This record gives sequence, structure tokens and C-alpha cells, in this order.
Amino acid sequence: MAQTAFREEYVDADGFRIRFMEAGQGAPLVHLHGAGGLRVTPAHEFLSRHFRVVAFEMPGFGQSPPNDRTQSMPELASTMARAVDKLGLDAFNLMGTSFGGKTALWLAVQAPQRVQALVLEAPAAIRQQGAESPSGSAEEIARRLYAHPERLASIPPIDPAVRAKTQPLVQRLRGPDRDADLEKWLPELPTPTLVLFGTLDRVIAPAMGRVYKDLIPNCHLVFVYDAAHAISTDRPEAFAEVVVDFLERHEAFVISRAETVIHP
Amino acid sequence: MKVSFFETVRYQAPRPLPSEWPVPSGDYDRDAGARAYQGMIERLQYVEELGFDWVSVSEHHYSPRILTPSPIVSAAFLAAHLKKIKIALLGPIVPQSNPVRVAEEVAMLDTMARGRLVVGLLRGTSNESLTYDLNPAESRERTDEGMELILKAWTEPQPFGWQGRHFRYRTISIWPRPLQQPYPTTYALGTSREAGEFAARHHLGCGVSYGSFESVGKATRYYREQCTQYGWEPSPDQIIYRANMLLADTDEEAQAELRKLPAQAPFSMRPGVREAMMTLDSRNIAGEARAPIVSGALPTTFIGSPDTVVEQIRRCREVVGAGVIDLSLHPPGSTDLEPLMRSLELFGKKVLPRIRDI
Repeated sequence: MAQTAFREEYVDADGFRIRFMEAGQGAPLVHLHGAGGLRVTPAHEFLSRHFRVVAFEMPGFGQSPPNDRTQSMPELASTMARAVDKLGLDAFNLMGTSFGGKTALWLAVQAPQRVQALVLEAPAAIRQQGAESPSGSAEEIARRLYAHPERLASIPPIDPAVRAKTQPLVQRLRGPDRDADLEKWLPELPTPTLVLFGTLDRVIAPAMGRVYKDLIPNCHLVFVYDAAHAISTDRPEAFAEVVVDFLERHEAFVISRAETVIHP
Repeated sequence: MKVSFFETVRYQAPRPLPSEWPVPSGDYDRDAGARAYQGMIERLQYVEELGFDWVSVSEHHYSPRILTPSPIVSAAFLAAHLKKIKIALLGPIVPQSNPVRVAEEVAMLDTMARGRLVVGLLRGTSNESLTYDLNPAESRERTDEGMELILKAWTEPQPFGWQGRHFRYRTISIWPRPLQQPYPTTYALGTSREAGEFAARHHLGCGVSYGSFESVGKATRYYREQCTQYGWEPSPDQIIYRANMLLADTDEEAQAELRKLPAQAPFSMRPGVREAMMTLDSRNIAGEARAPIVSGALPTTFIGSPDTVVEQIRRCREVVGAGVIDLSLHPPGSTDLEPLMRSLELFGKKVLPRIRDI
């Protein structure tokens, strides 16, 4: 695939120097990555054809210095909200992946008037009892995360040293499997929300999707067939299509625009 | 051993019909059709009386050989006319169905039939890809995805969307849900590696058909190995074997019946189509490539006197592992009903009581 020009940029916010990747025009779409850190995937490329995509590297992930300061997920969400502020984005679409799904959900709870629509990719905010993060060798981790590891070729692997550095932060911030402090806010959340689970997710049980539907008033649940936890890597076209449609039309995305005329 | 009677609706054509599939619709005789469906009910009431466990129906199109293009309509009609026998819906052909519709109809019928439903999901015979213009190269993938979606529609309590490879829905939330929970006893039908793996992953049964014991035994062995990989062991009831049976008072009479059967493919397509299908429709037994069944008659694996057939059923259990045999008693297409009724009676009285402990 031709690489869209994702530019590397930095923003200073809340005492952190935060790296982000940006590409595309139009309405802003802020992305918060999963526990593995920020990696630009084909799905980012697809989304950047429709939106101004701003994919942050949250403090403590990737090449940033270890983050011993942030003590909780709401704190991290608040830091990320300030980073978005610094970019001058008053209102924006927000997408969170796995661990970052919980950050995004907290951010939406804290600033519902700013988040126009929320997309949660295999979110880790509500987990089955005893859910464990992938661990072990790179191969073992890949088996847990991907249904189609062969599609990873274009994405650099996660550096084990970086993973080791971020583990304490992830463990500190991920919170309990069911987080009452967060869940109590969800029935009040006005944000149009799309929750996506891969049918082959081996990290978070896809059945957790229904809990979001139970709790969030304007929530839509979509299963992505033949995708595991890393939906946007396993099936980037399918992922981007439904995300774009939802961000453009919110709940009206349930109305089909597929054309079936074969010949006029 | 449990026993199922495969009901094909015996259409007795008033005049000879072309053997090529599709058979011209204009050759259909309405009176013969009406008699065939009426005869089906009378026959199945007898089948029920004899103590068969299931009656099965399938999905086939554009031919009088098996006159049930809509298995769900057949099953609903049977459920209304029969009292206690289980209705085995061994169709629908998933790749050419709307999977959500299948989930709804099965749930509805299971509820109306008070849980007397058994379901088999399958890819379908090669000719059927022509019925609704299905690309045979896509039928495997559509089957796998469709089956997954049907199971999801039966079990997911919240409205959901499906972002598939071949199917896309934004809103699914079926009513009613199946009476049997989480869903009716379900089988993935077929000898393929994909069907076996799917069945094992979802704790479903496996159904094989028409091959020799050894050949379909490879598929059921693969299925059981896959179940072990997924940490469970299927019961004998979770393996169905559908096969032709010719039963007579003596082995000689049965063999004589066999010689009378036409040696042609069940749904015989014209040569150019058949040859093209050979290259486009890839099939396998537990991962080993096999040709699609487009030429040649299906074997008759149960044949002989009651004594002989009891021993064959015993061997079938050992080699195939099947706990349910689904019988094409006097193969479909043979429209002489007299021998069918005779062997049905013979089976009910001389075979059935002797195979219960197999």
C-alpha cells in the first residue's frame, strides 16, 4: 500500500512531551493506542483519507521516558485531553484501542461536550473475570493478538525493551476487570459510541461488547468477522469502512447505502 | 445407534424426464407433485410409528429427485403433521442463504415444534452453486462465515452489527430465539477440514455422507482430533452418517435391486459445466483433496439382508464413529414405492430392534 504521509510531531502538555503521528484532512479523529504502544497501521491510512487523524503516543509508551507520574486512567485521560487542547481541537472524534479504549472512555466521560463520537476497538475497559494481557515471546503475543499475523508484515514489531518499560504503567492503570468508578458514569454518557470486537478475540471476550450496550445509552456493537484482538490489523478495510460510516453518520449508519443495481 | 429417515419426497413422474440437471420446470406435473407431498406425510407417519428417531430433509433445487427446495418449509410441514419424531433440518445451504433469515426461521420452527428440531448447516452439492448464481470459489468462505453468523444471531442478547467478509449487517436482533438453549442440536455437515474444524471449535456435531466407511471415517477422525485440540470429546450422537441403504429379505435380492438402479450422478450436469465445476469447486476430506461429486452414482454402503445390514451398521459405528445413521432407504430418484415401503417395514421390524445397543 502507498504510504500516506503520516508526519511525526510533538506537543507539550501537562508536563509531558507527547509524540503524535498526523495525516489527512477534515474532521479531527484522535486515536489512543493499546498497551503495545503507537504503531501506524493500514487502518490509520484508510481513516486518514476521510479524517484528520491524530494518533498520539501516550506518555510512558514507545520512545518516551518512563512515566512514573500518572497514577490512574482518569489522570491519563485528562493528560490526553490537554494534549488535544494544545492542538486547538475543541471538538473531535475519539478512537481508543484496547487499553486506550479505556483511556478514551474516561476522556469522553470527563469531556462529553468535546467528543463528538467515540469508537472503541476491542476495548479493555470491561473485561471478563481474570482476563490476562498477552505476554511471553513475540510469537506467543502475536498468537493472542492476531488472527492473521501474516498481515503484520508492513508493521514493525514491538521492541521487547519498550514493552518491559511500559508494563508497570499498563498494570498500574488498567484497573479491575469491572471498574465501578468508570461504569457508574456510563449511563449518563451522551456520546454516540461504536464498540467493535473481533469474533476471534482471545484477549477480551467478545461477549463483553454487550455490557457496553447495556450501560451506554447510544451505543452500537459490531462484530468484525475473522478478526482477533487487533481488529484494525487483521481486517483493516472492514474496520475502517464501519468506523468511517459511523463517524460520518452516527446512529444513522444502520441505514444501508449499499447499491445493488447490477445494470441500469 | 439412532436412526434417521432421509425424506426426499418421492415424485412419480407420469412420463420419463430428462436426466440432466436442471430438469425443465415445464415438465413438472402438478397432480404428481400433490400426490408426492401427500404420500410423504403418510409414509412419515409410518416411519414415526416404526420408531425412527428422526426424519431428515435437505435442500435441493431444480429437480424432482429431491423435491424440497426449501428445507424449512418441509420441516415446518412435517413438524405440524408428526407428533414426536425429531425433525432434522439437514440443509439449509448456508452460502446461498441469508444467515440471519436462517437463524430466525430455525428459532421460530424450534419454538413452534417445541424443541423437536435438529439442524445441520452445510455448503451444498456442487450443482447448487448454479441455483442462485453462487461463485463456487467463494462458497467455502461464505459457508464458514454464514455458520458463524447464525450461531451469533442465536446467542447474542444485544442488537449487533456484523462486519464480515461476505456478509454485512448493521442491525441483528432476532425474535423469537430458539426454544432449545443455547440453540437446537446443530451439526456442521461435510467431510472437509473446514467443516470439522468449525464443528470442533463451536462444540457442534459433525455430519458426513455417502462415502465408504473408510473415506468418511477419515473426516470423523479428523473432527474428533480437532475436538480434542479444543478440549472436549463429542458423544456418538454428535456424528451423523447419511448413506444409501438397500434392504431386502436376502443379500441376493438386495444385490438384484442395486443392479436395477441407474448408475448416474445424482444431479448430472452437462459435460462442459461438469468439467468446469471440477476445476472451480475445490473439495476435501479432512484436508485431502477430493473431486466434487459431479459424475458417477453415490455408493450404497448398507446393502443386504437384515442380518448383513446389522453387521454393516456395527462396522459403521466402529469405523465412522457415527451414533446416528441417516438413511436414504431405496435411494432418492427410485420412484417405485413398493420396494421402499417393503424395506421400510423390514428395517423397522428386523433391523431397528437389533441396533439399539450398537
